[in-house]
Amino acid sequence: MAIQVSGITKRFNDFTALDSVDLEVRSGELLALLGPSGSGKTTLLRIMAGLESPDAGGLLLNGEEALGLKPRDRQVGFVFQHYALFRHMTVFDNVAFGLKVRPRGQRPSSAEIRRRVTELLDLVQLSPFAGRYPAQLSGGQRQRVALARALAIEPKVLLLDEPFGALDAKVRKELRRWLRKLHEDIHVTSVFVTHDQEEALELADRVVVMNQGRIEQIGSPAEVYDHPASAFVYEFLGQVNRLDCTVEGGIAHIGDGALAIATDGGVQGRAVAYVRPHDLGVTPAVGGPARISGIHVVGPDARIDIDLAGLALEAEMDRERLATLGIVAGDRCAVHIDRARVFAR
Amino acid sequence: MPADTITSTSTNIAVPPVRSVLSEPGWVRFLLIAGALLFLALFLLLPLVAVFAEALRHGFDAYWAALTEPDAVAAIELTLIVAVISVPANLLFGVAASWCVAKFDFRGKNLLITLIDLPFSVSPVISGLIYVLLFGLNGLFGAYLRDMGIQIIFAVPGLVLATIFVTFPFVARELIPLMQEQGSDEEEAALVLGASGWQTFWRVTIPNIKWGLLYGVLLCNARAMGEFGAVSVVSGHIRGETNTMPLHVEILYNEYNFVAAFAVASLLAMLALVTLVVKTALEWRFGEELAATRH
Repeated sequence: MAIQVSGITKRFNDFTALDSVDLEVRSGELLALLGPSGSGKTTLLRIMAGLESPDAGGLLLNGEEALGLKPRDRQVGFVFQHYALFRHMTVFDNVAFGLKVRPRGQRPSSAEIRRRVTELLDLVQLSPFAGRYPAQLSGGQRQRVALARALAIEPKVLLLDEPFGALDAKVRKELRRWLRKLHEDIHVTSVFVTHDQEEALELADRVVVMNQGRIEQIGSPAEVYDHPASAFVYEFLGQVNRLDCTVEGGIAHIGDGALAIATDGGVQGRAVAYVRPHDLGVTPAVGGPARISGIHVVGPDARIDIDLAGLALEAEMDRERLATLGIVAGDRCAVHIDRARVFAR
Repeated sequence: MPADTITSTSTNIAVPPVRSVLSEPGWVRFLLIAGALLFLALFLLLPLVAVFAEALRHGFDAYWAALTEPDAVAAIELTLIVAVISVPANLLFGVAASWCVAKFDFRGKNLLITLIDLPFSVSPVISGLIYVLLFGLNGLFGAYLRDMGIQIIFAVPGLVLATIFVTFPFVARELIPLMQEQGSDEEEAALVLGASGWQTFWRVTIPNIKWGLLYGVLLCNARAMGEFGAVSVVSGHIRGETNTMPLHVEILYNEYNFVAAFAVASLLAMLALVTLVVKTALEWRFGEELAATRH
């Protein structure tokens, strides 16, 4: 186990940023801390790095008690959201910094430093830019310098705060793939913070979903997406229809009885049913209970707005299926739900 | 440039020329520029020329004699001593105060910022008087200081104290906005990378603020050497002992010794010119780096 967080609590005045959080990060994995802003994910990351100290709780790094250690003694690599490159130093000097500031006994020779920095710049494909200043680089390049700088001290753990947050969509996607590949090559235990669910699901081995200073769910990307543990996770991950309903004897009645679904849990009374748009089926039916209020084609998929007795629903299907059904806006239709999760209200 | 292209294309199709919204009619531009230049010449250039003209009225020998006369030399020395003590002191205080304000959050921060500005908002004469009231013979600590045989007012320590007070905001004012804008990300990065607090300060913080710091020090120095009001109150105007250059100028002037007064004044004017030249040269030489550190 690379990192063990137990009962970490952190308050800023009246605001509870972290509320008794427990978390284990396995050696060599790439873990995502996913949550909306204010969920405490960055605070947790900063506590791991020693940039914040918790009000209560414990932290083990590679089995060693770490809370008493200063950031410099924790051997973690930290990539800041806005990179925090040293603006007055060249790319080379930025990457070399962690080696140059070591105490005399542990400092590598300058030839050795040069060799290691060159190697790292090769790794992040920035060798031609060694002499440039951060201001002369693009966002994606700065990000890679920040990564190389963090890796230079051979950290046992790599922590990344919103690593792609400040980049435009295309660069973000490329860099994501590249980071995934880099992680497969060097296999350093990594934790990254993000508010972008797509990023977390695509990149991470495991995803930790956080909300209001607590962990809502920990699991593989497929687990958290297919089996959300709470209403929050359902709403936060992907598109979802949120339907008020009443459950009686295992059957959830939605929209004054216009729809009924069998539930699996022991929920009774007022509840909320969550249905993913692609789990909502549409069949054309003359005189059916619902009406197609709009169809939006987005790339290969189609989003269908449905009005069911005043209830707005959203369904999703590919364009081929839409063509087979032959529905257009204004048609009457029937709606069925393939899969839903019901949570008590 | 856009204005030109627009006019030329529009004349081709025989419509009245369209003027860019941002350019004024020629005569307005002429009036504004001429007004600014005239003002500059009248209020800045003319006095400067007058200082040197008066100083050299009786030739260079008289000028040189006025500068090398013992009281003048003593005044120049004293001014340098005061600057040499108060500028580094304010460099230290300024960096410490800006560091404090920019990198940490604490109760009373706004009060501290207001206090730093205080010397700018208070009349220099009052600044001097404060020290007389505190350390003068009839002041708060007067009796105690007399018993200990320490003289502050009408002596070098008083001059230094008053100068430090008056010039306190220069370095801090220059650095606080700069450091606030830069934030503490880079310091945090350095600490995580294994740097000690001291290494972080010297290798990250100082290089990032060096130009702002230099500006602050230049301005602080110019004021420290040129300060009149506060220093005048605590000095006692003892010739050859507690007279700084600005005070010496006043005494000479009051004695109708114009050549000598303007000779010493010309030194102060030169100090101002050198300050400006150094500042401009730095901006010109290191402009690119300056832009880089300010992002």
